[in-house]
Parts: sequence; structure tokens; C-alpha cells
Amino acid sequence: MSFTETLRGSAGKLRGNAVKPPPDGSRPQPGWRRYWPMYAAVSPFFLLFAVFGVFPVAFSIYLSFMSWDGIGDMKSIGWENYEYLVTDPDFWQSIANTLIIWVLATVPMVFLALVIAYALHTTVRFKAFYRVAYFVPNVTSIVAMTIVLGSVFSDSSGLLNSMLRVINAGEVGWLSDPWAMKVSVAAITIWRWLGYNTIICLAGLQAISSDVYEAARVDGASNRQTFFRITIPMLRPVILFVVITSTIGGLQLFTEPQVMFPDDSGNVGGPGGEATTIVLYLYQQAFIFNRFGYGAAIGWALFILIAAFSIINWRLVAGRSEDATGTGKGKKKGKGRSRAR
Amino acid sequence: MAVSRRRLLALGAGAAAGGFGLAGCGSQRSLGGSDEITFWTWDRSVSDELVARAETKGIPGAEGFRVSRTKIGGNYNTKVRTTLAGKSMVPDIIGINSDVATFFPNQDVFVDLNDFGAAELKSRYLDWKWNQCITPEGRMIAFPMDTGPTALFYRTDVLKEAGITTDPEELAARAPDWDGFIALGKELQKSQQRAVICPHLRQIWDIRIGQLGSRYLTEDGRYIGDRDEIREIFELGYRVSKEGLSAGALDGSNDVEGVVTSGRQAVAIGAAWWGLAFPEAAAPDTEGKWRVTDPPGGAGNQGGSFLAITKYSKDPEAAYAFITWLQSPENQVKAFTEMSLFPSSPRSFAMPAMREPRSFYGGQRTIEVFGESARQVKTVYRSPYDRVIDPVMFDEMANIDAGKSVEAAWKDAQDAIERELTREGVL
Repeated sequence: MSFTETLRGSAGKLRGNAVKPPPDGSRPQPGWRRYWPMYAAVSPFFLLFAVFGVFPVAFSIYLSFMSWDGIGDMKSIGWENYEYLVTDPDFWQSIANTLIIWVLATVPMVFLALVIAYALHTTVRFKAFYRVAYFVPNVTSIVAMTIVLGSVFSDSSGLLNSMLRVINAGEVGWLSDPWAMKVSVAAITIWRWLGYNTIICLAGLQAISSDVYEAARVDGASNRQTFFRITIPMLRPVILFVVITSTIGGLQLFTEPQVMFPDDSGNVGGPGGEATTIVLYLYQQAFIFNRFGYGAAIGWALFILIAAFSIINWRLVAGRSEDATGTGKGKKKGKGRSRAR
Repeated sequence: MAVSRRRLLALGAGAAAGGFGLAGCGSQRSLGGSDEITFWTWDRSVSDELVARAETKGIPGAEGFRVSRTKIGGNYNTKVRTTLAGKSMVPDIIGINSDVATFFPNQDVFVDLNDFGAAELKSRYLDWKWNQCITPEGRMIAFPMDTGPTALFYRTDVLKEAGITTDPEELAARAPDWDGFIALGKELQKSQQRAVICPHLRQIWDIRIGQLGSRYLTEDGRYIGDRDEIREIFELGYRVSKEGLSAGALDGSNDVEGVVTSGRQAVAIGAAWWGLAFPEAAAPDTEGKWRVTDPPGGAGNQGGSFLAITKYSKDPEAAYAFITWLQSPENQVKAFTEMSLFPSSPRSFAMPAMREPRSFYGGQRTIEVFGESARQVKTVYRSPYDRVIDPVMFDEMANIDAGKSVEAAWKDAQDAIERELTREGVL
């Protein structure tokens, strides 16, 4: 395999779709003797990427067809890991948990992010302060914060339940009731990612030309009308980005439930495994029970799931006619709006 | 300084050579220099002072060798396994936690300590602990470190208030078994409504199974985890829960410490390290109020660890000299006074440092209780698959705590275990 081919191949893997070679004659064919210093100069990235990016991915495919406890010899078992996977109730439970937590977190988060971004956009004073304030949770060590929040959510000694007791609202088993467990994990996810998404929405808002708003004002549009008829449609690509990154992040949720439901005995995700997410289940199988082959198979199932959900998201949020390059904006927007009505 | 092209090329060539040199180290199978016995453990697993001595002054009994210890943070088990899987740069000695049996299927990556005459030292150590190091095939793959014998911890002020005796022997006679222990809890509830005897039912499982003569599998790989003796633990848990004697806390959460610091749990069956982890660390103002006595239901062990020499070791003899020195009865006492690691050698129990009155326990000589408990622990075979079965049982105990019936929990547990063991190829 030539170097250019390697290069194209790895770039293709990175983006998840094939990169077509440039059409013949579009540029002169590189002469090796002339261009090797340039290739040498950019090679460190590709070499490191091959070692730390491509190889692990390829190895995990190989591993998913093996039975391996991490020390002994690998044993080839064909599709057995995948066959077990589809009949594994714990795996399906972890998928259900992940999706429920994802919905509980993403829907309110995207909505709140838009509202806060709009508020920040229209605020006049202390703009920078608010932006930093909203972003701080995202850069705080999630492990440290989850420990703090864990004592907020603790069943009998937690802050939240103490407050509920004061107003005589009874107690909620934040760490033991199946639904409350998912809500508390979702709450932490929202808390952490809200600021990040807000900043992205804010950037999108600021990219909208003020001409459009001025025209709307001249036409006598109310704030509400401006928000729903101008801001939201113009923000479509940004919302798409926010939703897709939240989906990927939501499906890979790991640290929050792991630290919220600490356990060194082998159980993960709290009582009944009601907060076991897919990645947490992968971690348990591979790194606690030393089933590395099965862990790799779960990883690939997760990959397929994320790909599927990204496509669904894209179709729902962006509309069927939109293409990945984002060309033909005006036409598509009209269509999207007429469908929404 | 301006770098000429020639010089840059020379530097590049040097760096490349260095890179290949490093890659070349991959063929070196043992970690560290030729006179260095490399040693991996997690924090607070061995006496730092003793290791520091072996690092600077060399290993007693192995001239010309010194130790180089690395404290591995994060997921210790994963790092050890990946290193062993890589088959290169493997340390000479690794620490292993109480799940030593998970290494039995890969016993050949460790040297057999019997080859170095370990059998001569057998009489120094507790039988049951020694036997945990030996695989069903008879290879001794690890060496005993600390142990976790259990005892009944109790708070004298709370018991006095409830009108219960605070004399260790009288209390032990009052609660010799689990029925007595539950009755004790009921008695405490008369003066303190919210009194409990455990933070959650999982702890009941862990302690009770540690008191039995066998666990889930026999040495020849037969599953025995469906016997009545095991099912009775579910029933015991149900009774504890029904009487309101379990706090129903989440294992590992702040609530577990909360029941101790708030005084709700004035009696607790715990291992020697329990006192340090809970009342001593979390409720220091209760100093002098705690005592220990014989545990209800018999002695048991929770926790403890081991040392193993890998087959990649550059000098297993020197490594063996080091671990036997580090774990000699005298040095185990040192580890106890420095790190509260309870010795696995009964000879240590008689030494003055161990026999000192402990002020946290009102001047009681706690070794008299723990030492006796340690001697009475039964020899039990722990299989490599206990690590998979325990979580299933723990989970169902938590479900019983939350109101699941014993019948349903038992059936679900057995089904789940059958699935896991079939997959592991045991059934």
C-alpha cells in the first residue's frame, strides 16, 4: 500500500465514509522525489494516528471474535460474542437505560441551551461573566463534581431529601428507585453539558445577520415571533450539531453513573443495574469480569447504535432533503418550514 | 543557536536510532535494571518504610539486589493484566488483591513458590490464608500479605442507654449467632427507634458467606451455590430487612458512613480494617466508646492481599528473598503499626506492638479478639468464578432490601449464575 493510499484510508476511517481520490488531471501527480520532504513533515501525525487510532480500532474488531481473559491465549470463537450479545438481557437493559437517560437529559438540555443562549445574546451587561459562569461546569473535574452531587442525591443523608423533608414532601430514592436513579444521572448530565451547548448556540445566534432582525422589527414582529420564525430556523444547522453531539455523548455516558453508584464488588449502575449504561456495561464485562472479547463486541454494538441514531437525528432535525455539505440552503429551508407547518 | 542542515540530519538520525532502541526494549521481558527487583502495588498495601529500606540498602538475604517499587494508581487490576498480556516489561513482583483465584486459570505466568522452599515457612502463617495461594493443581502462585478477620464492633454508650451489657464476653454470649444478633438489634430499637445492624443487606451476604465452610464451587469445578445453606442467607437478609434492621443504603455511598457517624449503627460485624475505615476515620469523636468482641455466627475473613512473582522475573530467588523478608512475622507487625494491615502470621499476634491497648477501643487489647477470630477462619476454596457470582448475589440481596420476595430473588440469582457459568464453560 502506498503512502497516499494509507493517508486516504485513514482519513476515510476518521470520517466514517470513503474519501474519493481527486479526479484524474485535477492536479499534477506528485513525484516522490520532489515531495518526500513534505510527506515526511506531515507524517508524524499519520504515524501516531496509525499506532494509536487505526490499530486499536482494527484490533478491537479482531478481539470481538475472540475469547480472552487478558492474560492467557486468545481463542477464536467466531460470532459467539455477538450471538450472546443479542440474547443478553443485561445488554438490552443497558441499552434501554442509556436511551431513557439520554431522552431525560437531551430534550430539556437542548431547549434550555437555546433559551439561555437567546437570553445571553440579548443581555447587555455582564455578558462575559455569564458565559464563563455557564461554561464552568464543563471544565470542572466530573469525578469531583459527581462525588459532591452524590452527597446531594444521597437517600438518607442527602441535601435534596433533607430539603424535601423540610417541606414535608416525603423522600425520593434518588439512588435506589429505578426512575429516580435515571433522573439523577440525567440531572448531572444536563448540569455538565448545558453551558457547552449554550455557548455553541450563542455562537450560532451571533452568526445570524442583524439585517434579518431589523427587517423583522420593521415588519412589526414580536419577540416571540422573531424567536420562533427567525432564530430557530436560522439555527437549524447549529441545533443539528448540538443534538448529534449530545446523542453521541449521551450514548457514551459513563463517568456520571459510575461515580454516582460506586461499587468495587463487581456490580455497576446501582441497585438492579438500573443506571447501567452501555459503556458502563462494557467496562464491567471487560475490566471487572476480564471478558475482553465480549467487551469489544459491546463496543461495536455501541458503534452501530451511535451511527444509527446520528442518521435518525439528522433526518429528523435537518430534514430529508438536506445534504451533508450544506449547499442549497435557501431552497431546503423553505421546504423544512412548509413541512413543519 | 543556528542549526545547520547537517546537524539537523544528524539529530534526526540520532532520534530515530533512539526510537528503535526503545522499541528494542520490547524484547526485554523483565522491567528494570539487572540488579533491580521491580515491584508493583497499590497505595497503602505494604509498609512504605520497609520498602524504602530495601530500595536504598538492598534486599536482606539477596546481596547485590535492590528493590524498585511503583505505586500503581487507577485501575490496578487492568494495568497488571495488560502488562502480563504484553509479556514484556513485566515487573518481578506484583501485589494481588483478595481475588487471587481469578489468576488460577493463568497460573503459569507466576513462578511456583514451592520451588523455592516456601513449604518451610507454612507453619508461620494462617492455614486458611496459605491455602488461598495454592491452585487446584497444587502450584503456589502467591504469598500471604495481610488479612481481614471479622469481629463484632459495638458502641458502649449506646448499648448502656438501651440497658444492654457492654462487657465483651457477656455480649458475645448474648449474641453467639445471627438470631442473637437480630435480637440485639431489636433490643436497641427500644431506646433508639432507627437503630440498624447493617448499612445494607449486601454486607450481611458478604459476612455470612465468609463464615461458611465453602462458597460457590468445589475445587474440581462443581457448582454448589444452590445449596440450602446459601439460600438461608437470603432468608436471613429478608428477616433483617423485615425487622427494620437494615438501613437500605447504597453500597459505597455516603449513607454507609452516615449510619455509623450518626450512631444509628451501634453494633457492626466488620473486618479488622472496618474500625479504621468507619468509626476511626469518619467519627473520631467517638474515641474510647467502641469495643470489639467475637462475631455472631462465627469467625470469617473479609479482604486481605497477596504477593506473586512473575515468570518473567530476572531473578526469582532475589524476589523470593524480598517477599519473605517483607512478610516475615516481625515485619508484618511493622506493617500493622504503620498501615493497619492485619498480619497473616499468628506469630505476629504475640508480639508486644500488636498487644498494645488501643485507646480508640477504650484501652482494649483488640488483638485478643481479632487474633482469635483469625485463627478460627475456615479454609475455603475460592474459585476464579466467585468474582462473577458474588455480584449476582449482592444484587439480589439489594433487591430483597427493596422488597423483592426471597423466592423470586433466589430463582433470578440461580438463573443468572447458570447463564454466567455456562458462558465461562464451567457448567
